[in-house]
Amino acid sequence: MLKVTNLTKRLPNGKVLLNGITFTVEKGEFVGILGASGAGKSLTMRCIVGLTTVTDGEVIFRGESGKTYRTTTIQGKELRRARRNIGVIFQGFHLVKRLTVLENVMIGRLGRINPLRSWLYGFTDREAADAMEALGRVGMSDFAARATGSLSGGEMQRVAIARAIFQKPLCYLADEPIASLDPKNSRAIMRLLQPLASEQPIIGAFHQPEMTAQFCTRVIAIRNGTVIYDGDPHLSPAQLAQIYSQDDGSELEGGFDEPQSRPLVPALATR
Amino acid sequence: MNLNDFSLDRYRKHARAAGLLLAAILVAAWRTEVNFGDLAKASSKAASLIGLFFPPDWESFPKMIGPAFVTVLIAAVATPIGTLCALALGLASARNVSPPWLRLTMRSLIALERGVPEIVLVLILVAAFGIGPFTGVVALTIASIGMLGKLVGDAIEEIDTATVESVACVGATRGQLIRYAVLPQVMPSLLTNSMFRFEVNIRASVLLGAIGSGGIGYELMQSMNQLEYHKTTVAVAVSLLLVFLAERLSDVIRSRVLEGATLS
Repeated sequence: MLKVTNLTKRLPNGKVLLNGITFTVEKGEFVGILGASGAGKSLTMRCIVGLTTVTDGEVIFRGESGKTYRTTTIQGKELRRARRNIGVIFQGFHLVKRLTVLENVMIGRLGRINPLRSWLYGFTDREAADAMEALGRVGMSDFAARATGSLSGGEMQRVAIARAIFQKPLCYLADEPIASLDPKNSRAIMRLLQPLASEQPIIGAFHQPEMTAQFCTRVIAIRNGTVIYDGDPHLSPAQLAQIYSQDDGSELEGGFDEPQSRPLVPALATR
Repeated sequence: MNLNDFSLDRYRKHARAAGLLLAAILVAAWRTEVNFGDLAKASSKAASLIGLFFPPDWESFPKMIGPAFVTVLIAAVATPIGTLCALALGLASARNVSPPWLRLTMRSLIALERGVPEIVLVLILVAAFGIGPFTGVVALTIASIGMLGKLVGDAIEEIDTATVESVACVGATRGQLIRYAVLPQVMPSLLTNSMFRFEVNIRASVLLGAIGSGGIGYELMQSMNQLEYHKTTVAVAVSLLLVFLAERLSDVIRSRVLEGATLS
């Protein structure tokens, strides 16, 4: 389904952010990626959807009717085709705040509809009904007409998940989907994600080992850009200590600093 | 260095800067022939002149309504056309949307448009199109693009990139990204700025009328030239009314838009 091979990213200054990340995800899996801030979890996800370039290695994604996409190298139309099959959920939700909740959900299908039609009159009633159904699955039907900017974090994350569901992807990527939510909302979001995983695989980055132990089918741990554990989601305290031990102080830097190697809006400026 | 020395030193520096500034102002005043004696003389003359403007010739008011409409229409046509063009140019001049060569070309074009004052534009355009409201429309459209293009371009460069990235992740095309991720984010600033430009255009339209585009400005100029100062007063009153109404209108619309903005 999704095969990540030897993914490597080196900055021009020689700093290695990803160092040969390799794993494969199959249907039915709910993979939780653990690791300290700056370990390379988010960056791995960005590489998978082609939001950033890689120094070495590749990501192979099997899309609709078995077609394979090398998302690390393709661009333009091919990349758009690959992306419409991958539902991405972000830590910061990144919804369009000025649009309504329903419009944000319908954005999930932009990759599948005629660009001219989407410009002129937007979406059909049928699509709106489907989007409402997706909102229903995350318990947000009553919010459809609300301005998205007026929602709380937990509500926005539900809308983001509805958008991903409406997208009808073959695989979900969730980049720290619960990192900015309180424990109660976090658990609720995990409960929403779990049944999705039985339909299409989910790869999620998390900071809560207790959550991944409870909900995920498999855990991959990344430390300093390398996979150091891949297997059973139930980890021993010793294993956790090892995962979160840093040897370069990068937890203080709070993530990686990628130089502006690509324009601010890569999707706009490069294709 | 102790604290006392430091503060004294600082005062000395300030005093020197103030002295230089004062000298510069004095030189400038001398070069521009500032003369307070003349000012006093002129103001007593102006005071006696004001008497000529009263009482206003309200009889001429009905004849002012048509020209007033022309003035408003010039602004009402120039502003939306200018806004649309500014949006296109703004997109083309934003760092995060356009390639560098296009961006630089567009930025320079917009700067050029902004650099030429409306009056100069009209003087040039009158030569090309002749006297008439259309000349005013073209001049104000160009002037609007100069201002709004820059503001829209800057607004687009300040949008939330993560949101655009997130929409790109569903496989949206460049056009779809502009429609669903960029435009919704810049719409409030575009609307408020173009409403403000509408106000400016009304004022400019009055002024341009005096030098060739017709409307209330032309009536004002005519009455002055024919020494019918009582009519001039009415024209001035109508102009003020127009400006006031335009400001009210744009205030109302802007507050509506901003109300929407607080929701997000």
